[in-house]
Amino acid sequence: MLSPRTGLSVLSCAAMLTGSLAAQSPSTPSPAGARPGYDAEYIGPPLADAVMQTAKETYVVFGCAYCHGITLTPRGEAADLMHSPLVGADTNGDTIAAILRAGIPRTAKLSPMPQFSDLSDRQLHDIARYIHYARRQGHYKEIVETKSAPGNPAAGGSYFAQNCESCHGADLDGIGKKYDATAIRDRMLEPATLESLQIFTLDSLKDTRLATGRQRHRFLLENVTPTEVANLVAYLQTR
Amino acid sequence: MAIAGTSIVSAVSAWKDAANRSLIGGVQFGLQPFCYHDLAMTPDNRPTLVKRLVQNGFGMVELHATWVEPRFADPGVSAEDTREKQRAWRLSQPADHYAGIKRELDAAGITIFTYYVNINDTYTDAEIDAVFAGAKMLGAKGCVGSQGLALSKRLAAFPGKHGMFLGIHNHANLSDADAFATEDSFVKGLAFSPDVKATLDTRHFTAANGDCLGFLERHHERVSSVHLGDRRRNNGRSAPFGEGDAPIIEVLRMIRDNKWPIVALLEFEHGTLRPQVEEVQLMFDYCKRAVLS
Repeated sequence: MLSPRTGLSVLSCAAMLTGSLAAQSPSTPSPAGARPGYDAEYIGPPLADAVMQTAKETYVVFGCAYCHGITLTPRGEAADLMHSPLVGADTNGDTIAAILRAGIPRTAKLSPMPQFSDLSDRQLHDIARYIHYARRQGHYKEIVETKSAPGNPAAGGSYFAQNCESCHGADLDGIGKKYDATAIRDRMLEPATLESLQIFTLDSLKDTRLATGRQRHRFLLENVTPTEVANLVAYLQTR
Repeated sequence: MAIAGTSIVSAVSAWKDAANRSLIGGVQFGLQPFCYHDLAMTPDNRPTLVKRLVQNGFGMVELHATWVEPRFADPGVSAEDTREKQRAWRLSQPADHYAGIKRELDAAGITIFTYYVNINDTYTDAEIDAVFAGAKMLGAKGCVGSQGLALSKRLAAFPGKHGMFLGIHNHANLSDADAFATEDSFVKGLAFSPDVKATLDTRHFTAANGDCLGFLERHHERVSSVHLGDRRRNNGRSAPFGEGDAPIIEVLRMIRDNKWPIVALLEFEHGTLRPQVEEVQLMFDYCKRAVLS
């Protein structure tokens, strides 16, 4: 697949590139699923979900990764999207897409964020989709690697009542006896579960509970602190 | 007279040969290695940088200080202490350190045209002198940075003492009166001293709705280099060469046809799925075609 922004001007150079570099470049084997010419070493191996991989490629190709980092580790003065409250509050990509359309021309920073008004709505939402995905992956890593103090079950119960109870009630009774703390935490936050492929059967598409649950757990993972996770786990162990 | 183990004649010859590797169609090309997006700009990665520059056919580079200076940041060390260590290192005038790096690049046929360092208000006068002295030991003709007008006014007094120039580099921030972003801001900066030169960044100048060709027509005698890259107008995004609004081909042909000694340094931010060395090569080939036809 050609990248969306690959234009004729660059394509016309391809023959020159082949001649000038092919003999000098060490041949780097492509990882499984990576097409030739795809820089898996820098971008990472292709994601299992083609939808998310397309979103990631859109994020890279339009230059977001240069400033904000492929894994949301920013370069220089760029915003830290991993910890941005604005990104955390964006649930459907609309807020991020609006910022991308307009850019941030007035800023105290050296280089204003550009505007991307020439991109399609689909492309703008793909960029937002990947930012959220990368943020979930990064937050999960942070939570797992943070050595939190023992959780406070009372604080966890309060958090549960405010954020979880509308969906979860008796279905979680006994969970503390069934799983240990790590398993409870992972079942609550595990990105692999949250990122499982969307099923397009008509029944699944109409299952609003499934969609809502996924959206809420994703929101939780993007915004919850390690302490809040420890508290929640401590509470659920008492159920 | 010997310089780094070689005679002055062969040193000059080496410089010419090195520069000539990317002297194409009468235009001296070089690279600002920001372009290798995957390569952290650290001293440890310098051998990889040199290898890539050779692979891409560059004989000239604008070297950022982060490729040169040791790291002083350590876990548990405050930012102030880190800064003090950095300053002390610079003031110690580590000539062997700079000479060693120059030898590395000389051996690969690469000339350091400019030394990129973002000097700020925390720099003492002695430290600024030390930065210029270090850059000179690297063989650089000037120091370039993205400082604003106020600081540039202060810095303008320093390069002349070292027989060098201060490069002022624009971004696209039109909301900051201190920033270099417009022709007017450049004119103010260039007026500080004859030792101040413009590093015209074509992509940011275009994004700020500037006229690159008009700027070169009016100020070419004060332009030391262009940062060649593409963006769309109206604070638009970065784009591969030829896909934005920057007149890259016209800029290069203007330099070529007027025989201006303006170095064309490729620098871009647009993304790619290709390995970075291939992307640099594609953009360089685009420029070569511009000056060879």
